[in-house]
Amino acid sequence: MARDGAPVEAWAMTAPAIQLTALSKNFGSVHAVVDVDLQIHRGEVVALLGPNGAGKSTTIDLALGLSHPTTGTAHLFGDDPRAAIVDGRVGAMLQGGALLPDLTVAQTVALVASAHRAPLPVDEALERAGIRDLAARRVSKLSGGQLQRARFAVAVVSDPELLILDEPTAAMDVESRRDFWLSMRQFTAEGRTVVFATHYLDEADFFADRIVILGAGRVVADGTPGEVKSVVSGRTIRFEVDSGETDAAAAVIPHLPGIRSLDRRADRFTLVTDDSDRTLRALLDAVPTARDIEITAHTMDDAFLALTTKAPLPRPTKAAHLTKAV
Amino acid sequence: MPYRYILLESLRQLRNVRALAFTFVIPLVMLLIFGSLYGSSGQQEQRSGLPWLIVTTVQMASYGGMLAALSQAFAITTERSIGWNRQLRITPLSGVGYLVSKVAAALLVALCTIIVLCAVSIVVLGARMDALHWFTAILGIWIGVIPFALIAVALGQYARPSFAQPLFTVVFLGMAILGGLWIPLEVMPTRVISIAQTVPSYWLNKLGQIGANGAGNALLPIVILAAWTVALAALIAWRYRRDAARA
Repeated sequence: MARDGAPVEAWAMTAPAIQLTALSKNFGSVHAVVDVDLQIHRGEVVALLGPNGAGKSTTIDLALGLSHPTTGTAHLFGDDPRAAIVDGRVGAMLQGGALLPDLTVAQTVALVASAHRAPLPVDEALERAGIRDLAARRVSKLSGGQLQRARFAVAVVSDPELLILDEPTAAMDVESRRDFWLSMRQFTAEGRTVVFATHYLDEADFFADRIVILGAGRVVADGTPGEVKSVVSGRTIRFEVDSGETDAAAAVIPHLPGIRSLDRRADRFTLVTDDSDRTLRALLDAVPTARDIEITAHTMDDAFLALTTKAPLPRPTKAAHLTKAV
Repeated sequence: MPYRYILLESLRQLRNVRALAFTFVIPLVMLLIFGSLYGSSGQQEQRSGLPWLIVTTVQMASYGGMLAALSQAFAITTERSIGWNRQLRITPLSGVGYLVSKVAAALLVALCTIIVLCAVSIVVLGARMDALHWFTAILGIWIGVIPFALIAVALGQYARPSFAQPLFTVVFLGMAILGGLWIPLEVMPTRVISIAQTVPSYWLNKLGQIGANGAGNALLPIVILAAWTVALAALIAWRYRRDAARA
């Protein structure tokens, strides 16, 4: 791994937080993760998106060394994942990792802290999770959102450089989600690395510097939120035409400027365009009876659907793929 | 070894009053009944010359210690089923460290149970013996409990939560009856007595009686209990490696 004769230690100092190389994992005949190459640098905040069964949790388990890859390797900070965990450099909130119901929040954090070599004081871990007031509360009495924050306190008690969060805001209401991401901002402001899997695309859009989308165990997109959204750039124009004029309209519309795709259901048309202003002006000239016109911008959801509905995909810039998604 | 974790974890199990009440009440009640039944007349057991009250106390302390150690199996199955182990895997605590913490907790909970039962016998039933013999009796029982701490870990590894209770009941009933912890083996048929000499609870009680007596050959019980310990540790290690390889 050492580059051009650089000493190995120097490489280890700057090794990426996460390095997955040709990683695959099979469960019997199920290919949960297929040939994933992924490098996450220090200080990055990366969202891992994908539908259920896309391989997010398996990828996280492999990265943490909780599960052995069928082929390929996983390294954290240039080292074996277990070594990074033992050093206290990694914190995680995992799927299916629960807390003991009969302990209080403070006892839970203290118990996990006692297993670490150089943990934060319990109070500070609670402070970082914003749940100092819940210290004496029993875990069984916590609400869904409070429980997630208690698990966050457990994840940060080793003062990790890398946090891996598998659906951290599941079971949170809107307000707790906002509070949670605010405390995450504090955490990442200090240059730490965060990788989080989520179902909430707006969270990824709002909080991540980089979005990695998994579909059927493969990486189907990797880029900034802007880049990922631009995969389905453009806008959608929807309108209706009076029944008598549908066929005439259908003849003209494909020749409008900027059009990438066209879908027609009876009297209702849906166009995807790269330049909605120009398309709309031309449309009003060519089909003056068009009515109930709606123009919508593409959202992260559209990008997500476009990328994951038919994985594995080539870069889906062709209209053929988009018609399906729009 | 993560000593701080092991200490906190053992104390946590000791604080778990609900589980302790369960393991503690049965031997306590039995001690009070059998102790007053056999102890009041000051009879002595013929072979060892020990007062029956002391014999009964050692039996019940052995039974209580065994039950307390075995009940750690539930802590393990519960923690496994809710995913606490998964949480612990993101800490420096190794799988071996986790299992050691469970053995330590089982031994601590057992020791407290043994001491409290002996204290009840002294205070309530008026059992009398010099301090050294109480000490060696308690030590003997405690050493004898070691295989049961390992049986608890093995049960915790092998049993699913729904199956843990019946399995636990079979193990502790079998061990209590065959080991002569409830009823003196003398009343049993000879075939049962020969089977009894293969189970660790028999030797746990024996070691306690030898300790109370301050005399007798402790080597045989210790060798047999050590053999059980090694065999159980091997079983646990095998299962642990298999589970780790499957991940």
